[in-house]
Amino acid sequence: MELNNVAFWVFSTLAVLSAIGVVFFRNIVYAVLSLISTLIMVSGLFFTMGAELIGALQIIIYAVAIVVFYVLVISTVPEFKGPTVDAGYMLMSIPVGFLIFIELAYVSIYGAWKSNTGMFTPEIVDKMGNVKAVASMLFTKYLFPFEVASVILLVAMIGAIIIGRKEHVIDEEAK
Amino acid sequence: MVPYEYYVALSGLLMVLGLIGIIIRKNIIAMLLSTELMLNAVNIAFVAFDTKLADVSGQVFVFFILTIAAAEAAVGLGLIMAIYRLRKDVDVNTLTELKL
Repeated sequence: MELNNVAFWVFSTLAVLSAIGVVFFRNIVYAVLSLISTLIMVSGLFFTMGAELIGALQIIIYAVAIVVFYVLVISTVPEFKGPTVDAGYMLMSIPVGFLIFIELAYVSIYGAWKSNTGMFTPEIVDKMGNVKAVASMLFTKYLFPFEVASVILLVAMIGAIIIGRKEHVIDEEAK
Repeated sequence: MVPYEYYVALSGLLMVLGLIGIIIRKNIIAMLLSTELMLNAVNIAFVAFDTKLADVSGQVFVFFILTIAAAEAAVGLGLIMAIYRLRKDVDVNTLTELKL
């Protein structure tokens, strides 16, 4: 058995198990730890597919930066006392989820894109290297969306500060 | 080499798990965690189709999804902090001010 094959099965099994943990763990801290595990496994899957840049970014941005947000907020908000899952919604969600899975599988296996080809051939991507290919695409064809993404990050930062700020009422005349 | 259909199937499975998580969890932070699962499923599908088509556009879009996920986490968690400060509770069943 090929090494790539083994890596795929190990990473995908662990990713699905940790995703089940994210959904069903009662303690939210365990859920976040499962999420970290899922994110690292997904990053490993990116590496097995040959997308090294995205795999590294996945670890740096998702598994470190975003998860730190969650841990900080969980340490601020007290423990959730209600039930973990809603039994009525649970019964409803399983057939709905199964139907959506069938639909996703159908669309992605028999989709209209099946005869499509990309703008690179595998030889060119191999010769350039993954990082160079992605970067050349990002800074030529997708330069404008890249700049818009920076504006979105700035707006999100300002918005998060304003929404999460504590209202301090400073009464000067009372002093 | 693993066929790309396996990656697409894994992506669909993670997407459905995230959806189930959003439906059944009552803690608002757990619902946000489930949206992160769904975003990851989309990322896997993008990269899987990239390997099939020998393209890199999908990986550029994964880069944008990472950016949006960071913005979403920051704003969403800021909203959770604001909701908690207002109501001292993060149960979605009690957030019914907009209900008719």
